[in-house]
Amino acid sequence: MVPTALEALGLQLCSYLQAQWGEPVALAGIDQIPGGASRETYRVRLDLRGLGRVVILRRDPKTSLIDTERAHEYRTYEAAFRAGLPVPEPLFLEEDPNWLERPFSVMAEIADCSSRVADLAGDDQAEVRARVGAEKWALLGRLAAMDPHALGVTSFMPVPEHPAARELEYWAGVIDADALHPQPVAAAAIRWLRAHLPPPSDSLALVHGDYRSGNFLFAPDGSIKGVLDWEMAHVGDPLEDLAWSLDPLWPWPDRHLAGGLLPREEAIALWEQASGMQVDREAFRWWQVFASLKGLAIWISSTEDFAHGESKEPILAVAGWVMTDRQNRILVDRLHPDAPARYSERCL
Amino acid sequence: MIPQAGRSLADLAMKLAGDIAPATQTEYAAANAGLMAMLLLALAQEHERAAAVRTMDIDEMKLLFRAAQNEHPEAPGAGQRASYCEREPKSLLLSDLDRFHGEGLQALIALHAWAEAEDAGLDRRIWDFLLRHTERHKFELPPL
Repeated sequence: MVPTALEALGLQLCSYLQAQWGEPVALAGIDQIPGGASRETYRVRLDLRGLGRVVILRRDPKTSLIDTERAHEYRTYEAAFRAGLPVPEPLFLEEDPNWLERPFSVMAEIADCSSRVADLAGDDQAEVRARVGAEKWALLGRLAAMDPHALGVTSFMPVPEHPAARELEYWAGVIDADALHPQPVAAAAIRWLRAHLPPPSDSLALVHGDYRSGNFLFAPDGSIKGVLDWEMAHVGDPLEDLAWSLDPLWPWPDRHLAGGLLPREEAIALWEQASGMQVDREAFRWWQVFASLKGLAIWISSTEDFAHGESKEPILAVAGWVMTDRQNRILVDRLHPDAPARYSERCL
Repeated sequence: MIPQAGRSLADLAMKLAGDIAPATQTEYAAANAGLMAMLLLALAQEHERAAAVRTMDIDEMKLLFRAAQNEHPEAPGAGQRASYCEREPKSLLLSDLDRFHGEGLQALIALHAWAEAEDAGLDRRIWDFLLRHTERHKFELPPL
């Protein structure tokens, strides 16, 4: 029987792993995992001389929601894993396209966990939801307190003199390059951000870059077992991750809990306690506006990818239409001289 | 011909989300069927309103441009805005409406940047426009 394309990919991976491990590796099953538009992600069940093992394969797509460097992401996973942060164990990075047609990485699976925070919305899940929230922002605070030099990430990540300025110009450039239609809200936000740049950060940290509900795995008891999707990680201001994690887009349409988990002020207090830092509210306001602009840049870029790229993944189109609409409304709400605060939390 | 194309798209979205997605064999297929259902619903709304919201934007931008012309004839880009106010989209095809709409937004961006520094009242009126603009382009989507 001729294997399906998915099975063929699994068999090719088995050949690769057999070469690496020097023992027979048979394919027991393979499924594609939805989401993760920056990489194709698969759960691969292996048979190692009768012993079962599951790995996660992440392969470069033909085009991506976020243009990222796979080695950068993999080395960040390695650094986080060494530091004892909850991340999947990185096993292999392979940049030779001869094995699976495109470069890929392989990680150990974190079993029996979920990333679906939406499943915790019911009253019967309140306790688990609160624990996930408490761990989410405490973990982020812990990351903020870590010295990026000691983590080893500064060997492959630039250390910016002015993180806010660097991030703003990068994402403004993405909008400039990828917008298919003029973007008056983004343009106004960029002007505002340039005019209100905070001073260079007092402390630098490893910034995850996409720390939000959906990008971590939690166990049924609410403990977080794995932080995923480090492809946008960089050295920068730790307030960037905090602001991103609190953007009103993530719990849409029910925005009363940050990330669908905790009240915003509670999340900030947890972060402050774990990081040992106090949030500078003026600088934080800048990072909140920036977070919404960065989101908009990603959605604009995905629109361009869907329109002109080879990948026709539905997530690219959803991001380009639905998310762009929502993020535009959040930004107007944040920046209008007397906006009605329908979508954002202007009081923060 | 089914006259209400938007309604048909919405019906197809509900069919995809309610019947087809749950019957798929893998998590990947189910998730993508759900996303496509959401997109169909968004497209259904966009189909119904596309010409109207672009035309409203264009009309309101012309009002802003004319006001700016009266109050600040010296402001940069006045000639371009005056020319815009005198013209109409080439046709009612969405591609023509989009082209003309985009031209107006580009002129608006320049005017807004100028108004921020020079005229707080005009700046506010442009923000008011952006508020209406984003509200009329929003998608109302139920959780799927």
